[in-house]
Amino acid sequence: MPLSVSLSIEGDTTVIELTGELDAKTAPDFHRTIEKAAGHGTHTVEIRMAGVGYMASAGLRSLVFAQQKVANDVTIKVVGAIEPVSRTIRTAGLDRSIVLSDE
Amino acid sequence: MPSTTVIILDAYPPPPPELLDALQAMDASLVTRTLRELREAPPELLPVADVLLAPAESDGAAVRMAVRRLRRWAGAPIVVVWTVTEFAALEEHVRIGHDYLVPPFLPALVGARLHSCSERAGLGRTLREADARAELMGYEKELEIGREIQAGFLPESMPVPDGWEIDVRFRPARQVAGDFYDVFEISRGRRLAVVVADVCDKGVGAALFMALIRSLLRHTAQNSGLQHLVAAGRAGGSRRIPVVGATPLLNAVTATNSYLTRNHLRQGYFATLFFGVLDPLTGSLVYINGGHNPPLLLPADGSPPVALDVTGPAVGVLPDCVYTLGYAQLDPGDTLFVFTDGVPEARCPDGRFLGDDRMLELLAGPPSNGKVLVDLMDLAVREHTGTAEQHDDVTMLALHRPRAARGPHVDGAGTRVVA
Repeated sequence: MPLSVSLSIEGDTTVIELTGELDAKTAPDFHRTIEKAAGHGTHTVEIRMAGVGYMASAGLRSLVFAQQKVANDVTIKVVGAIEPVSRTIRTAGLDRSIVLSDE
Repeated sequence: MPSTTVIILDAYPPPPPELLDALQAMDASLVTRTLRELREAPPELLPVADVLLAPAESDGAAVRMAVRRLRRWAGAPIVVVWTVTEFAALEEHVRIGHDYLVPPFLPALVGARLHSCSERAGLGRTLREADARAELMGYEKELEIGREIQAGFLPESMPVPDGWEIDVRFRPARQVAGDFYDVFEISRGRRLAVVVADVCDKGVGAALFMALIRSLLRHTAQNSGLQHLVAAGRAGGSRRIPVVGATPLLNAVTATNSYLTRNHLRQGYFATLFFGVLDPLTGSLVYINGGHNPPLLLPADGSPPVALDVTGPAVGVLPDCVYTLGYAQLDPGDTLFVFTDGVPEARCPDGRFLGDDRMLELLAGPPSNGKVLVDLMDLAVREHTGTAEQHDDVTMLALHRPRAARGPHVDGAGTRVVA
């Protein structure tokens, strides 16, 4: 299943909205968007994942990659992830550096 | 169907009417492009043609650049320059290998010339395809070599202590894998290290990090703690029982984590892993679960599986993080089932996952031994996947303590290999 990625800026937040599945095939699209988002220089990068039904380990890697791309003082938020996706993030321990929130 | 495709270079002067008539008479398929379009258009919009027809007045070097680009993306046409009066300009083109047409532009003459160009262009395309195939075969061969070398990073044989059984199933989704498992002795042979890990992502990148992470874990575990065979248990502070093998375990995981975060953080590769250290005499297990799917301890009495939950984050993500130790006990008849996400996340052709619930259903009731368990789970994964593509590596390891210790394994104690 393909992934659709959209990028916008809302005030001091760069918003990336993902819909579909985040796996090895689709992660490169997300990587490119992260690189663009990192260039925006906002204080928060919000990744809206409510429409992501499945995230493979390649998707986790994208989140780690995102952390590397943005400046140290930038907060990365993952918003609205469904339970299996947020569990994947929590199991790997990425919730220690990425803010997980329901909305 | 037209036999010859001709790009007419949209330049001054345009082709004389007699030449265009001759092209029509031979039923050539015509497309018109400017030199700029040929040099700048996106590759997917470049025409595949046999002949590029240009006036002698056009710049030879510029035409050649355009043809080079066409060769790379679409197939090189033969350049045919025409002129009615500019014979000197024609010379420059002929010198760099372009073909030419001069009056009279009689249909039979033009047709014969362009047909022969078309054959040459076709031959050029065939050669290009053959080159591409040869290149692809070269890559496949390299990948095969990569697969063989990677196989050398899996244990050639597993030391299986008396009174224990270890069964492994390892099925990579591609030629090279990100999953791995390892079984080796530490603490002067007094403890058995059992590792199952999953490097994030797939393909060659994951395979390179697999080799690195496996080596760091094994090397550190085997070469640390020799002076201090005993480390104080650190789980929750309440356990003060010294645990042999805990030092190499902690050292291996924390050293690998700090190595990766110090040297490779930018690349964003990490591994989730389960690293258990077993005392074969007592069945006590001390472990670190670094962000991995919790292994399941299946009690001999058939009571529900016990999940060995995470005790720290995935390895290679967070610098200076703390890993705590987990403890478990394997009594006679118990089985520890360690697996990677390729098992619960196996997908059938319509995209449904095997799922945790189905896994627990399959694991209900104590397995008679590890091999039965691994076979059962592997069959379930294969049946569920069906005709769908296997999209993730599948690794399972069953550590089983038989009820009646059968003494030294006749089927090759310490050398049993399960492919």
